[in-house]
Amino acid sequence: MLKNYFKIAIAVLKRRKFFTFISLFGISFTLTILIVLTAFVDNIVSANYPEVNRDRSLYIISIQQKDTVHQGQMTGPASYYYLSHYVETLKTPAMVAISSMFAPTNAYVNNRKLVLNMKYTNDAFWKVLQFQFLEGKPYTQQQIENGEHIAVITEDTKQQYFGDVPSVVGKYIEADNVQYRVTGVVKSVPVIMPVTYADIFVPYTFSKADWRTKTYSGSYTAVLLANSPSDFKKIQAEYANVVAKIPPENKDFNVLVSSADTYLKSFLAISNKGNGVEILTTVILVFALFVMLLPTLNLININISRIMERSSEIGVRKAFGASSKTLVIQFIVENLILTIFGAVLGLLVSFIIIQMINNSNLIANIHLTINFTVLFYALLACLAFGLFSGVYPAWRMSKMHIATALKAQ
Amino acid sequence: MFRHLFKLIWNKKKENFLMITEMLVSFLVIFAVLSMTVFYYHNYRQPMGFDYEDVWVVNYSAPQSAQRGDSAMLFRQTIRQMLLSMPQIKKLSFAGSNVPFAMSTSNSNIDYNGKSVLANIYDSEISYASVLNMHLKEGRWFTQADEVSKYPPVVINEMTKEALFGKDQAVGKLIGKDNPLKVVGVVQNLKDKGDYQPVEYGMYKLMDTGSYHHASTILLKVQPGTDAAFEGKIFKQLSNAIGSSIEIEHLDKKLASKNKIFLVPAIIATIVAAFLIINVALGLFGVLWYNINKRRSEIGLRRAVGATGNSVSKQLVGEALMLSTFALIIGSFFAVQFPLLNVFDLPEGVYIIAMVLSILFIYFLVIICALYPGRQAAAIYPATALHED
Repeated sequence: MLKNYFKIAIAVLKRRKFFTFISLFGISFTLTILIVLTAFVDNIVSANYPEVNRDRSLYIISIQQKDTVHQGQMTGPASYYYLSHYVETLKTPAMVAISSMFAPTNAYVNNRKLVLNMKYTNDAFWKVLQFQFLEGKPYTQQQIENGEHIAVITEDTKQQYFGDVPSVVGKYIEADNVQYRVTGVVKSVPVIMPVTYADIFVPYTFSKADWRTKTYSGSYTAVLLANSPSDFKKIQAEYANVVAKIPPENKDFNVLVSSADTYLKSFLAISNKGNGVEILTTVILVFALFVMLLPTLNLININISRIMERSSEIGVRKAFGASSKTLVIQFIVENLILTIFGAVLGLLVSFIIIQMINNSNLIANIHLTINFTVLFYALLACLAFGLFSGVYPAWRMSKMHIATALKAQ
Repeated sequence: MFRHLFKLIWNKKKENFLMITEMLVSFLVIFAVLSMTVFYYHNYRQPMGFDYEDVWVVNYSAPQSAQRGDSAMLFRQTIRQMLLSMPQIKKLSFAGSNVPFAMSTSNSNIDYNGKSVLANIYDSEISYASVLNMHLKEGRWFTQADEVSKYPPVVINEMTKEALFGKDQAVGKLIGKDNPLKVVGVVQNLKDKGDYQPVEYGMYKLMDTGSYHHASTILLKVQPGTDAAFEGKIFKQLSNAIGSSIEIEHLDKKLASKNKIFLVPAIIATIVAAFLIINVALGLFGVLWYNINKRRSEIGLRRAVGATGNSVSKQLVGEALMLSTFALIIGSFFAVQFPLLNVFDLPEGVYIIAMVLSILFIYFLVIICALYPGRQAAAIYPATALHED
């Protein structure tokens, strides 16, 4: 049965090549947009290098100090003092990585200027986040305590600062007017991962803003590594307990709000109160629907034309006793076959486009991939596409009278 | 003629419903993309209002010890003398963090006579205007004498002046409710958010000892052709003198990266829209072509009773145009809500131009798609067409 439908579908596709081209173009192009879009979203949301432990990590991106009397508030990253006193001391997380937001500074080599984004970190940063060391190793707590001027740089920085040399461990790099000895070189991170992106990493003790100052707000964020995701509730409860007991920093504020959230939620919570994830999902869904709407309408239009062209075939089949249901199923199956062709084409095109984006340096070091989640959503979208564009024409066709159908030619 | 075309379409409203929906959605897509393009182009045409070539920005954070009062003043004096002693640096000015093309903004409401605008507030100095080569339209820029005036002096941009004072004289008036500020001058609008961004309300304040801690940048006007070697030198000196992390940027590079932030999404949106439109055009072409093939006998009959090939082709194009007119009327109803409800805060003119352009574009698209099928219909011989039936 299906084999027959398949044969008929191929024959129909071959008959009007122009229409087939339009249909395939529409389907494959729409899918390409959706796949590239989901690849982007997936890249931002899912646990990619070096934040591979994201599924068992909680993030503290910002804290909020409020004055409930005068409606004032101040939101932003926390200070090293705050994180080391109130977060690092928590009992439930396995480890706490503390690092500053990246901040640009300059380095000058051979009369060339480099902009280096600097990040100040503690030693746990290297254990919580799985950086891939191309050479050397991270700095240790011991080295930080000894006050050694040491830095970990990315391979991009190595290339730009030192040029093509086999090894730079032990060499000196001057950034922000300070000489650091390179202890390790890591694979670069794209800028869309603000917690881990930087060009050069140095111990927090070298931050020129004094890390001992007893203020709450600063430029640091924390990643709390749990033993397993089931510990999230416990960690959040423990942190909530601690936050409730923190005294106000000064008389400008009377309430401190902070929570440890999963990656996406922690970022979206800054601008939206709690339901940021839902808003983002809605926006993406609406966009995807809108992108799909036009090609679907187009496909429905074309399908109607094509099906009416086959009215004599429909008439004959009906005359020989085929029910409307059988015909509808046949046409939907045909349409799905067409959609699957389009899907394969779309996958190919998106593969090429994704390769182009990866190589184009549009976002340095980004590595988009078509992974299984993306493929799954793409196939789902495809199926929806095929059904939407096939159901209405098939329904209209099946309602045709035998007499009119036969007469139409 | 029109009534006849209308009747033809009305009789087949069920079949044409989908076509109209498709045209309607295309119109809305085109309208959105064109609104954006027209808006960006409109902004691009505005003059910059200042010079950004050979201007460098030093970002720093003042040490705790030099944030207020005399120590802040002294700190500044030292830095200023050190920098101005170098022949490569022509002028300099301390400024707030919202220098041209910076990501950071700082704004506040300013009131006058019951009117209020949300304006960018720029912390500046006496030398600020000459570093950026700003153009004064009325009054004057700050002078030494302003440092001791009764009311804090401010300079506003033309846009703010028009919003608050209209045609009246602004210089000499007091603005603000609780803490009155005296307007001493009006400058030409500075398009300081990027080439494609709109001009915004702006007000320039003179920093005094009480607000020196707002300063977090130094604008340097350097000699043309000053190279990285010199930059490295002042980086070292400044870094030692200030004692905190600093960064040196160039305004022209900041402009380029700021522009990129706006252009990349716009280009992506345009590419997506272009593909959607190609898709629609192909579909439209296919459907019209098919419809004409279906109506061979009708066309043959028309030819037989004396219609010329030209008039047949005209009629078919006319029908397609009529269909799109339906779609455009509905589409315009939606589109016109944007300027009426002021949805995205764009100037009304932008929407109107975008609407007119989108309507023309859709008509153009429909004519292109209908022309070939129409020509084909004109070539139908009445004898063969009627014979087939």
